[in-house]
Amino acid sequence: MSVESRESASVVRMSLMFRIQHILLMGTLLVLALTGFALMYHDNWLGSALIRLEGGVLFRGFIHCTAAVLLMAQMVFHAFYMLFTREGKRELKDFLLGKQDFADFSQAIRFNLGTASEYPRFGKYGYKEKFQYWGATVGTLLISVTGVILWAENISMKILPKIFLDITLIIHGYQGLLAFVILLFWHVYNEHLHPSVFPMNRAWLTGKVDAEWLRQEHPLEYEKLKQEEVL
Amino acid sequence: MKRKILLAVIVSILGAGAPWLLPRAEARVSLEKCTLCHSKSEFRKILVDGKIRELFVTADSLKGSVHEKKNCVDCHFDISEIPHRERPRRVNCTHCHYKGNAEGAPQSDAYLAYFDSVHGKAIARGNVKAPLCQDCHGSHAILKAKNEESAVSQKKVAETCGHCHIEIYAQYKTSIHGVAVAKGIREAPSCTGCHGEHKIYGHLDPKSTVYATHVAEQCSTCHASVSIMGKFGIETEQVATYKNSFHGVASQFGSRTVANCASCHGTHDIRPAEDPLSSVNPKNVPKTCGKCHPGANPNFAVGKMHIDAKKKEAGVVYYVASFFKYLTIGTMLALIAHILLDMYGRSKRLRGEK
Repeated sequence: MSVESRESASVVRMSLMFRIQHILLMGTLLVLALTGFALMYHDNWLGSALIRLEGGVLFRGFIHCTAAVLLMAQMVFHAFYMLFTREGKRELKDFLLGKQDFADFSQAIRFNLGTASEYPRFGKYGYKEKFQYWGATVGTLLISVTGVILWAENISMKILPKIFLDITLIIHGYQGLLAFVILLFWHVYNEHLHPSVFPMNRAWLTGKVDAEWLRQEHPLEYEKLKQEEVL
Repeated sequence: MKRKILLAVIVSILGAGAPWLLPRAEARVSLEKCTLCHSKSEFRKILVDGKIRELFVTADSLKGSVHEKKNCVDCHFDISEIPHRERPRRVNCTHCHYKGNAEGAPQSDAYLAYFDSVHGKAIARGNVKAPLCQDCHGSHAILKAKNEESAVSQKKVAETCGHCHIEIYAQYKTSIHGVAVAKGIREAPSCTGCHGEHKIYGHLDPKSTVYATHVAEQCSTCHASVSIMGKFGIETEQVATYKNSFHGVASQFGSRTVANCASCHGTHDIRPAEDPLSSVNPKNVPKTCGKCHPGANPNFAVGKMHIDAKKKEAGVVYYVASFFKYLTIGTMLALIAHILLDMYGRSKRLRGEK
């Protein structure tokens, strides 16, 4: 790969609508994590410091619930956007999980281990992006359900035995932790430390990526854009 | 001449000694004089409101008490003539009881907390019904608190407080703590066990040991102690599990409306869960929870209330928590493995492209 052949052209990867949704999602998830983990880890100094910072245990709950409402509203908005707008429909098609993604996943592993000769060629979204997207979607749905059960505790207590609420609380907390660490690790690696984007993939701010980066990481998309003469 | 001087010296020494000898003699006389009237068994006064005030006191009234060696006027020092015309004022114990006293009273200022207490403040506001020292400790037959017969002993203090707090005493007497104290269990709390001795505050006063946010702390002084609870086969984890619950955390960070131990278990009427009258008897749990969570269903009482998800006794909750723990650890390991593999694979890919 010679320097001359590198193209400086860039392509739009995240439209403004998606950038706004991404930033809102990031904000609400961070607030939910900070207020949620403060309660979950109230017995260590960081947890109690966070609770105090968040205006005491009652105001912490208020912030957490407000952020949760925002998150759920976004989720509904996102569902409508993906299902009923032209841009959304196109993106959803790119995001649909297929057999190919699992085949890509296994091929990538085999290539990395040295048993396959070629690395899979990804479209706009590879298995990494798709798994992350659907994982986050299912996770958000589940954590919303458990969250609402806990929030509406007076209604829940009319129907459910206490043990059910105990389990709900455990699931809500641990699922939040799981989602948080996955998002954190995945983003730190794929969007920051990955050599092709280091120190940061700026698509979430500018919406644009280098055509050259696309060619390397998402060759099928690159070829499609070439064909469509966008590039 | 020498003789005269010697005589003068002897006289002056005796003279100097006389004031020291005199009060003792006088006091003895005074005791005898007092009992001239007061030792008559019929000696009593009918008050304006029709109540009878017993005034019967004998030379033996102080016998065996901590004030055995004292005389009437040591405390009733406002009596200067006998018979006295006016009703003597109430005895002021602080006359002798202060740190640094020379009367032989205990060198302690502990009682000072009384003046700031709910009782002391009520007195200061002019509430004549509020108790002074002697209302709890007794007047003539004052014994050390350690003595079982003392009005303020662990065994008897509830009855003493009950003179005024009648309904509470009735509740307490049949409660688990009241029954235990009556059985002679030294570790069981009487009134003072939870409320303190001199420094008793109203339960709405943030200084009180039974203020909403202090209740868990107060109960835990005994209920978190393995050495105390172990004797009676009572679990000690109730406090820790409470502190980790929604209620406990909210209480720890200042909520005064959230449930503390007493909200569910009661205060003076705490009974064991097996007791059908207990507020935490499974039959009563929906009602007890319903105080704050209207409509709590009977189903809600099924299962353990105080659970620790980290312990096997929590059952399903423990297994769900463990599942998530290993799921999280497993996912993290898989993620890290994938990341490392991916980095290795990418460098191989780049080498291939060159």
